[in-house]
Amino acid sequence: MERFLRMSSLLLGLCVLLYWAAPSASKPGALEEMRKRGYLLWGSDAEGGAPYIFPDPKDPERLIGFEVELAAAIARELGVTAKQAQNAWDSLIPGLQRGDYDIAMNGIEITPQRKQEVLFSVPYYVYTEQLVVRKDEDRIQGVEDLRGLKAGTLSGTVAQDILMGLGGVDVKIYSGQVEPYEDLAIGRIDAVLLDLPIAAYYGKPNPKLRYAGRPVGEGFYGIAMRKGDADLQRAINEILAKLLISGELKRIYEKWDLWNEAQEKLYRNTGESSGYRGLEESRKAPVQTFFPLLLKGAGITLFISATSMLFAIALGLFLTLSRLYGRAPFSGLATAYIEIYRGTPLLIQLYILYYGLPNIGISLSPFAAAFLGLGMNYAAYEAELYRAGISAIPRGQMEAAFSLGMTRGTAVRRIILPQAFRIALPGVTNDFIALFKDSSLVSIIAMVELTKTYTILAASTLRFFELGLIVAVLYFIMSYPLSLLARRLEEHLKGKRR
Amino acid sequence: MIRIRNLHKAFGGQQLFGGIDLDVASAEAVVCIGPSGSGKSTFLRCINGLEQFQRGEVEVDGTALHSVNRARPTGADREAIRQVRLKVGMVFQQFNLFPHMSVLDNITEAPVQVLGESREQAAERARSLLKRVNLEAKVNSYPDQLSGGEQQRVAIARALAMRPRVMLFDEPTSSLDPEMVGEVLSVIRDLVNDGMTTVIVTHEMGFAREIADRVVVFDRGEIVEIGPPETIFRSPRTERTRAFLSRVLKL
Repeated sequence: MERFLRMSSLLLGLCVLLYWAAPSASKPGALEEMRKRGYLLWGSDAEGGAPYIFPDPKDPERLIGFEVELAAAIARELGVTAKQAQNAWDSLIPGLQRGDYDIAMNGIEITPQRKQEVLFSVPYYVYTEQLVVRKDEDRIQGVEDLRGLKAGTLSGTVAQDILMGLGGVDVKIYSGQVEPYEDLAIGRIDAVLLDLPIAAYYGKPNPKLRYAGRPVGEGFYGIAMRKGDADLQRAINEILAKLLISGELKRIYEKWDLWNEAQEKLYRNTGESSGYRGLEESRKAPVQTFFPLLLKGAGITLFISATSMLFAIALGLFLTLSRLYGRAPFSGLATAYIEIYRGTPLLIQLYILYYGLPNIGISLSPFAAAFLGLGMNYAAYEAELYRAGISAIPRGQMEAAFSLGMTRGTAVRRIILPQAFRIALPGVTNDFIALFKDSSLVSIIAMVELTKTYTILAASTLRFFELGLIVAVLYFIMSYPLSLLARRLEEHLKGKRR
Repeated sequence: MIRIRNLHKAFGGQQLFGGIDLDVASAEAVVCIGPSGSGKSTFLRCINGLEQFQRGEVEVDGTALHSVNRARPTGADREAIRQVRLKVGMVFQQFNLFPHMSVLDNITEAPVQVLGESREQAAERARSLLKRVNLEAKVNSYPDQLSGGEQQRVAIARALAMRPRVMLFDEPTSSLDPEMVGEVLSVIRDLVNDGMTTVIVTHEMGFAREIADRVVVFDRGEIVEIGPPETIFRSPRTERTRAFLSRVLKL
């Protein structure tokens, strides 16, 4: 029997190979494109992602988890290597659709709604939902007891649907899987309902928490692909079948303590769980382990801030000049731009740039979206600063320039702007420092800068306090020299007049 | 040199000038006097297009400045005004030096930017103009390091650097401390004696009397009297001139 299975899996693999080797259709498929490229790009969220995908506590630059191993196995079978693309969990499907990666695999439940948006592979894991409560909790035996109480879960999960469906439950939605258990332990909420692997890694090891009742619900994790990538879906389905038959999938799950016939009994047992040890280790790892990643994040933060500030200054100047000296339609447009950008949240602007524009066929890279988002937003503030600076110049300056025969352009460039800039400079400096800190917002559009690096590392190690202080210090030692530099520049400009 | 015909100006629906005519000959010094708010400064500013007017014509050394009735002047309108300004130097009550530039740069900026002179050429000329106004030592100072009288003399040098055919002075000594009035007036006097065509708006009656070829008396947007200073100051022909002079000379 075993022999037969192995034979058939070999045959399957052969079929897959033949499928690739066959002359391609006129339209290149996702599969072919990926093979040419040499790697499989898979979208997932490493933030608080154990045991699915998370930074190795011993070597934070390396990602580990059962899905990392599964992705590697799939890539190997496809004849390529696997490359992870970081994105926030609840943005994984939009990111897939905009073409940021080939597949999304990160405990994504196969649901009818999602099936309308994407293709799913055959299931690769059967999950159940486990309720976790505090040790001293005596009101809650099962999900039915939650009515009138506060329960936490992750946004966009099946567990969220279950809680909402119960009615009368105060559902708190989190975007990371660590925070609900933390809040539960300190009494902010009364229970957490989440997928059993998550509960096993983040809930169970906490000495203040325990499982309540049997797992509820049952569903499947599937690998999501874009509609239209049917060739990829076929290939991945064949590979998953092969991995199952060969026992490799089982080995991966066993290694991560996730394999079980029914996949629920295991986690109800109170015995040792391997996830706990991993967390213990990461809690003890010396703090220097995280420096290389944090410094890389700081570099990215600095780069984004500096480039988008330069863009904001240039665009702001253009807006001010259009507003003050432009012809009828331009001056109105500039005013409208300034009011709209100042009157809407930067976060929304970033979402529209990154996730909204693809709907109308414009797909920006994370960096381009961050650069444009920050730059275009701050340009509105810069424009107002320059306008204030220009209005503060006495009218006589312009008249003197005019009476010397200067054109309006020369007068603005040589007489008005240099004086206005001196007046605006303290504000511009302030804005730069503010932009520098606001750059943390771009973490929502898949830029792994300093703040995102922090949340990923802190969620996997639970060292929010220690790492938070380090990150705050990093931000400060980058922004403080900026203030000093600005102050010196101001004094220098003043000195020129004195 | 200056020819003004039928100048009409309204401001905020109220008529300011109802048809002013004035001719200024080459090398003539005309001094405008009159009560505050009589329109003499506005009239002066019409000559180099700092004020728009609704009807009439201004011509400086053969270059005409027409009335502009558009809400926003076109590029051609602006260029026409600029051509007049190239012939007219203006000195303001508030000096209006560029505070972010040294004295030298204040003077050389327009010759370099507008006339395309080289920096060296412009600087050399600036130095000789500063010598003429007795400020050659202040060439590298900044405006806020100078007294009011010094600033105004730099402003005169700055205007002269553009080689104007006509100089307009808009109350050049009104914001100066009394002890500095003399130094500025003496520079203007030298200019007039050198044959510069000048129109001066001032409250310095003694200076007007001494320097003017003709005195123009403004009252409520009208020219009430024009004549040589002796006539105006000794035997004014109109009651309005007499009333004005008796008010200011009593002070």
